[in-house]
Amino acid sequence: MSEWVRAADRSECEGNGCVHATTPAGEKVVIARWGDEIFALEDQCSHQDFPLSDGSVEDGQIECVFHGAKFDLRTGRATQLPAIKPVRTYPVEVRDDGIYIQVG
Amino acid sequence: MPQNDTIQDLGLDEYQYHFITEDEPVFRSGRGLNEKVVREISAQKDEPEWMLEFRLKALEIYNAKPMPTWGGDLSNLENVLDEIYFYVRPQEKMERSWDDVPPNIKETFERLGIPEAEQKVLAGVGAQYESEMVYHSLKKEWDEKGVIFDSIEDGLKNHPELFREHFGTVIPSADNKFSAMNSAVWSGGSFVYIPKGVELDTPLQAYFRVNQEQMGQFERTLIIADEGSKAHYIEGCTAPVYSTESFHSGVIEIVVKPGAHFRYTTIQNWSNNMYNLVTQRALVHENATMEWLDGNLGSKLTMKYPSCYLMGEGAHGSILSIAYSGDGQHQDTGGKVIHAAPNTTSQIVSKSISKGTGRSTYRGLCQVHEGAINSKSNVECDALLINDTSRTDTYPYIEIEEKKSNIGHEATVSKVGDEQLFYLMSRGMDEAEAMALIVRGFIEPIAKLLPLEYAVELNRLIELEMEGSVG
Amino acid sequence: MAQSTTLDEPIGGLMEGVTDSLNSDLVQSRATGEPEWLRNRRLDAWASYERTPMPTTRLEEWRYTDLSRKLSLDALTPMEWSERAFDRESAPARMAEAMEADHESSGHVVEIDGTVAHVDLDADLAAKGVVLTSLRSAVEDHPELLEEYLATRALPADRGKFQALNAALWTDGIFLHVPRGVRLEHPVRVTRWLSEEGKALFSRTLIVAAEASQVSYVDEILSDDMEVQSLVSSAVEVFAGNGAQVQYVSLQRLGHGPFHLSQQRTIAGKDATLDTLNVNMGATTARLDLNAQLLGSGANSDMLGLCFGEGDQHFDHNTSQDHVAPHAYSDLLYKGALDGRARSVFRGIIKVHKGAQQTDAYQTNRNLLLSEEARADSLPNLEIEADDVRCSHGATVGQLDQDHLFYLMSRGLSRTEAERLVVIGFLGEVLSKLPLGGVVEKISRAVEAKLNV
Repeated sequence: MSEWVRAADRSECEGNGCVHATTPAGEKVVIARWGDEIFALEDQCSHQDFPLSDGSVEDGQIECVFHGAKFDLRTGRATQLPAIKPVRTYPVEVRDDGIYIQVG
Repeated sequence: MPQNDTIQDLGLDEYQYHFITEDEPVFRSGRGLNEKVVREISAQKDEPEWMLEFRLKALEIYNAKPMPTWGGDLSNLENVLDEIYFYVRPQEKMERSWDDVPPNIKETFERLGIPEAEQKVLAGVGAQYESEMVYHSLKKEWDEKGVIFDSIEDGLKNHPELFREHFGTVIPSADNKFSAMNSAVWSGGSFVYIPKGVELDTPLQAYFRVNQEQMGQFERTLIIADEGSKAHYIEGCTAPVYSTESFHSGVIEIVVKPGAHFRYTTIQNWSNNMYNLVTQRALVHENATMEWLDGNLGSKLTMKYPSCYLMGEGAHGSILSIAYSGDGQHQDTGGKVIHAAPNTTSQIVSKSISKGTGRSTYRGLCQVHEGAINSKSNVECDALLINDTSRTDTYPYIEIEEKKSNIGHEATVSKVGDEQLFYLMSRGMDEAEAMALIVRGFIEPIAKLLPLEYAVELNRLIELEMEGSVG
Repeated sequence: MAQSTTLDEPIGGLMEGVTDSLNSDLVQSRATGEPEWLRNRRLDAWASYERTPMPTTRLEEWRYTDLSRKLSLDALTPMEWSERAFDRESAPARMAEAMEADHESSGHVVEIDGTVAHVDLDADLAAKGVVLTSLRSAVEDHPELLEEYLATRALPADRGKFQALNAALWTDGIFLHVPRGVRLEHPVRVTRWLSEEGKALFSRTLIVAAEASQVSYVDEILSDDMEVQSLVSSAVEVFAGNGAQVQYVSLQRLGHGPFHLSQQRTIAGKDATLDTLNVNMGATTARLDLNAQLLGSGANSDMLGLCFGEGDQHFDHNTSQDHVAPHAYSDLLYKGALDGRARSVFRGIIKVHKGAQQTDAYQTNRNLLLSEEARADSLPNLEIEADDVRCSHGATVGQLDQDHLFYLMSRGLSRTEAERLVVIGFLGEVLSKLPLGGVVEKISRAVEAKLNV
């Protein structure tokens, strides 16, 4: 079963970068902005248990600050060692002043 | 137990290359590590802007990362790092022929007793002295085959695209505190490219040594073995003893493309005041083979875990490691194999010898990702303890997500058998000889893979170390 | 890292894991009416709990078990002690069945929801001075033994978050004392039952076997499947005096739902034999911390373990073989079979201290992955600080032996039957090393039942 939940305020994602959010079900999500697009990914690096939201966004990728792993914002694919596995991505919609993601 | 009261400790455990040759460095960065130093290094090397940015970002990461709290004792390291120079450049220009190499540097090599091998393949040797290659000459044959064997600096200058495509991709700056440090201040090391299908019979060899009191060395090596190629790279190092602690932190990145076969051999015999913290990693593609042969004999503390990321189907990784820890030494070494594709295979063999108050630690990772079906990995660790003050640890991490895999790990710890010793001595050997024979037998499975001159040298070293060892 | 100086910082500690229900008021109420030494022990333990951070995956020992995802302390209310009578006739079916299979015993204990409801002991043994009783009664009847052994030398409260929590909040448990030279022919059998959801239950076991005594103890815990998580915290302290022979067996057969946390420490004196078997079959998450200390020369410990996981079960075994004295022997064998999305972690260490010469210590962990999504992590560690030792460890992870399967199938067995046989044979090796009456049959049946699902 999937549903749309509000994950962040639009005002939190004005420039390139990322913020941490938690869904009502307790899932940890990182909301990242690159250019005009907004992405949502699982907020946990697939290499080790660290939050991606502490990292930075560049060239359509999010970089984990802890060991330098990178993930494609669109697909969640790992693009830089030491990560190998992808991270989960969520569909995103911007409605009014909120950013909504599809969970479940 | 045979009595050994009469056996004198002859002091041969002391470092045998205890000497310093005089020379005048041309440029010295200030002590300690800061943005100014990093900018100076980059400017001295006349680097492109992207590399300066890479270095500065790495410096930020380095400053943000805490000191590791695992592994060896790094409690005094901050003090050491405050005192060392992060860059020393001995000469303005790279040497093109052996005749041009200054006599005092030649003398140093001579006294090290190593360069027998160098004599033979001199034309292809990159000799690294202090923080940079001072001598570099390509063997004609390699030129003809299109092999690149440059200093890392020349690699960046002469092959900018190939360099930038791979540099920092196998080991990102943020991988660990010392890869970040190296990424900020790297200087010296090799850039190697083996073209498609080229097989080299003669190993590529690089010697280097640290010779400047309180000087750090941050060698950076990038190797690309293109499809179907085959080559062997040997790195050996030795350094004189100084009263203050010294520091070496290298980063070695290797890309082994489909079907290629690459072996990287290190024999490390730093003097016993050296912190040796090295990150070595290979990215191994389809049906390619990477072999790390790692000998750790010297240093105060070494932390080094050569890794193979087996990313392509059928890739093979092998890590063979010998560690010797004498009084006051800690070798914290091992290896990592990550199986990320089907039908990948790996092997880790580790042999360690701890003597006196020496401590040898095996630390390893074997990881099999879901989907890496039919992966096989075998890990064997053997530790030999010579004295009751010696210590050994084994810390393997085995993480398996794939049912269709076959993973094994075994380790044993033993002391030199009294019976074995007694038997050999009853055949007329003295204790040191008998001990050396047993230790040689113990490491033989790995030593036999070394080129002959290295194996001979290793055996000689073990004999010296075993003098007066029993007690 | 700099110390926080904000006013929000609670005075006296981090307060992690302090909840609306698990708090200092609860400790005060548990300590009410207790002798001063015990009251102080609880309060000290609670203070230690408050100032110890909640373990995270950043800690080596908890690297593979993320408590923030696996345990919801906030949702739990404490299980209170209450006077109970045990009536075998009206016992839940699973419990009755388990007790039915127990033959030949020297005594029984039944604990229900953290309260001891029944104790019986062979009259001859009682006459010889053997004590088998609830921990609450022992506080009154054997204060000197409890003061010496309870949460002191084996599981002191200041050595870990959950050790502290249990020492502060235990409601009841079992005390067994076997006097010098007394030998029990049959095992002491303990059946512990959990019936309530959403509870935090703290129970302790203290076994003191004096010099040259002999005893086997089987500690079985069960429940039905539950929708809502309960925490069962078991602290087990076992002392084997010089030359004593002790076997401690833990059978964890809880239903789906609970989080079981078993913290065990065994201390073996000179020439003592102290063997353990830990079977993990049930619970959604089960964590075992077992520390075996070989304190006297000539001490001997066989440490056996097996688990069978299915569904989303998560087992985490954290063992240590602590060789303090010379001439001691320890041999560990832990095996796991994992189906479904189950996951097992084995982290074991052989620690040979300086001067513990002539140590023989071995450690083996073998894992069988039966499904695509199962996972096993194995970390067999050695730390050796003496040279005259024989130590080795081995770990394997793999699938069913295909040759073996093929052979059985060629003899006319179906694939399913063949697989069952191979799994039972694989785990059976562990049971065959400690052939205690009733245990082998019980566990074999439980494994078969899981394989039949």
